[in-house]
Amino acid sequence: MADIYTMGIDIGSSASKCLILKNGTEIAGSAVIAAGTGTSGPRRAQEEALAAAGISMKDIRRSTATGYGRNTVEGVDAVVSELSCHAIGIHAVFPDVRTLIDIGGQDAKVIRVSENGRLDSFVMNDKCAAGTGRFLDVMARVLELDVSELEEKSAKAKNVVNISSTCTVFAESEVISQLSNNVDICDLVAGIHRSVAVRTAGLVRRLGVVEPVAMSGGVALNGGVVSALEEELGLTIKVSPLAQLNGAYGAAVHAWGQLEKETL
Amino acid sequence: MKYIDELKNISENPRAAFEGAIASGKKVVGVMPYFCPEELVYAAGMLPFGLWGAAIQANDSKRYFPAFICSILHTTLEMGIKGQLDDLSAIMIPICCDSLKGMGANWEYGVGNKVPVINVAYAQNRKIEAGVGFTASQFRKIRKQLEEIAGNEITDDALAKAVTVYNENRDAILCFSKAAATHPKEISAQTRSAVLKAGYFMDRAKHTEMLREITEELSALPASDEGYLKIVTTGILADMLGFLELIDKNNMVIADDQIAQESVGARTQTPVTEDPILGMAQRLSDIEGCSVLYDLGKFRGKQLVSLAQEAGAAGILFVLTKFCDPEEYDYVPVKRMTDAAGIPMLQVEIDQQMKNFAQAESALQAFAEMLRER
Repeated sequence: MADIYTMGIDIGSSASKCLILKNGTEIAGSAVIAAGTGTSGPRRAQEEALAAAGISMKDIRRSTATGYGRNTVEGVDAVVSELSCHAIGIHAVFPDVRTLIDIGGQDAKVIRVSENGRLDSFVMNDKCAAGTGRFLDVMARVLELDVSELEEKSAKAKNVVNISSTCTVFAESEVISQLSNNVDICDLVAGIHRSVAVRTAGLVRRLGVVEPVAMSGGVALNGGVVSALEEELGLTIKVSPLAQLNGAYGAAVHAWGQLEKETL
Repeated sequence: MKYIDELKNISENPRAAFEGAIASGKKVVGVMPYFCPEELVYAAGMLPFGLWGAAIQANDSKRYFPAFICSILHTTLEMGIKGQLDDLSAIMIPICCDSLKGMGANWEYGVGNKVPVINVAYAQNRKIEAGVGFTASQFRKIRKQLEEIAGNEITDDALAKAVTVYNENRDAILCFSKAAATHPKEISAQTRSAVLKAGYFMDRAKHTEMLREITEELSALPASDEGYLKIVTTGILADMLGFLELIDKNNMVIADDQIAQESVGARTQTPVTEDPILGMAQRLSDIEGCSVLYDLGKFRGKQLVSLAQEAGAAGILFVLTKFCDPEEYDYVPVKRMTDAAGIPMLQVEIDQQMKNFAQAESALQAFAEMLRER
C-alpha cells in the first residue's frame, strides 16, 4: 500500500513552519523559516518540508493551515485555529499533558488539553507584547545578543536583576538604564527571563494549573525561560521536542484525522 | 426586510441623524452611558442622543484623560473638543464609574460651556429605600435643568407618556432580540447590533414601531439557526464591525445578551406609579447585570448563567471593553459562576479603535471549534 502524506502549515507572525506526516505517525519532513505571514516564508517552508520528505505537493493527500496567517494559505483543505492545532500536536507528543504553554512571536497562549487531546479551554495574553517572543527579540537587540545566546547568558547569572516594567517599551528603557549602571549582562538576561516567566505564570494561573504541564513555541527553545517558569510555577515543565513545529504537527495530525474520518 | 437598511444607515451614520434633528429645529441632548433618565429629555420635547464613543482616533482628549481610560470616554470628549457636538443643547454625564467621574470636569475644561453638562448622580446603595429616594431627588434636579434648557415645563403627563414610550421600546428590544436569535440568516450579528444601536439616535417611539415590524416579519419566517452555535454576550458594548464579523464568520448566533448598550437596560421596565420620577429611580434600583451599577450580591454572574441556560447557549463571550476597570473586576466572579455552571466562557478584549482583530479572530475560531467538539 502506498504511503499517505498529510501536511500541516503553521504561519506565525515571525516564522513559517511546515511539517509533513507519513501515514499519520511518522514525520517525513519539516521546515522552519524565520519569516512569517505576508513574506516568502510560507512558500519556502512548504518547499523545504517537501524537499526534506522527498515528495512533491501532488503527493499530499490532505493539508491543514493554522497560525496567525492561516487564512492566507492557498490550496489547503482546512483552516483551523492555532489553539486547536497546538492541543492536537502536544497530545500526539505527550498524551498525558493537560496544560500547554505556547509562547510565540507575538502572543502567549495557555491551553487546557482534554484527555482525548481536544482543546478544553484557553487564555491568551492581551494588551501588549510583553512576555512574548517579540519581547525577547527586543531585549536581545538592546543587549547586542542573538536570541539563541540568551539561555547561556542567563545560566551564568549571579544576582538576577528585577525588571519591574510589564510593558515592552518601558522594560526596554529599564534594561538600558541598568546597562548604563554597568549591571552584568548575564544578571540582566536572567531578569528578563524571570519577567517573561512572571507574566506567563499569571496567565497559567488564570486558566488554572493542571499538571502535567508542557511548553511549545519558539520561546520553549530558550531553557532560561523554561527554568524561570518552572521556578515561578513550582513544577516541572515538559518541553516539546518539536517546539516551534508543534502547531504544524497538530495541523498535520488534524489533516490525517480528517482523512481517516472520510475513509471510515 | 423592511426598515433594516434604514436602521443600519442610522447606526452607521449617527451624525446624519443628529444633523437632521437639529435642522428640523429640535433640541438635542447628548446622553452618555449608562442608564441616564432619557425619559425626562423626551418629555421635554427634546431628542435624547446616545453618546457611546466612536471609531475615531483620540488625540486631543489625551490632554485630559490618561491613555488607559476606555475609548467611549476618550472619543466622546474628542468629538466635543473638535466641536462636532457643539449643536447639543446639553450633555448628560452619569458618574457611575471612576472614569466617568472625571468626564464632566474634563468636558468643561476641554469643550467649555457651549454645551452645558448635566451631572447624573445615582445612589451607590441603589437598592435601599434611601437610595431610591436619593436617585429620585437627583432626577428632580435634572428635570428642572432640562426645563430651563428646553424652555418649557416637563409636565407629569408628558413624563408619564415618555415612560410608556421607553417601556414599550424596551419590550420591543427584547422581542426583536428573541426573534433574531432564531434567524441568524436574516439577522446577522452585525445587523442585530445596528438595529439595536440605532435606537440611541432616533425617536424611541419610531424605533419601537420599526422593531415591532421587523419582529413580526421574522416571526412569520421559519427558524434559520440550524448549524449555528448559540452564544450569549456580556459586557459594555459589542458594536465593532470587525468583531461582529467574526461572530458571523464562525456561524455563531447571539441567542441573548447582557450587553449594557443592548439588552441590559431593556430588561427592566419603569414601574408605572403616580410619581413617574420615583418610578424611574426605582427602575435604576432594579436593573441587574451591569458592572457599573453596584451589585452587592454579584447577581450579574447568576443572571448570565440563567440567560445562557434559558437560551440553550453553548458558550458565553465576555466582551471586555479595553481599560474598563468595572468589567475587569467583574470578570473573576462571573467566570467562577459560569465555570461552576459548566458553561464555557471566552474573554475577548476589544476597543473602538481596533483595526486588527487577528487575535480575537484566533480566539473566536478556537472557541467555536472547542464548542463544536463538545
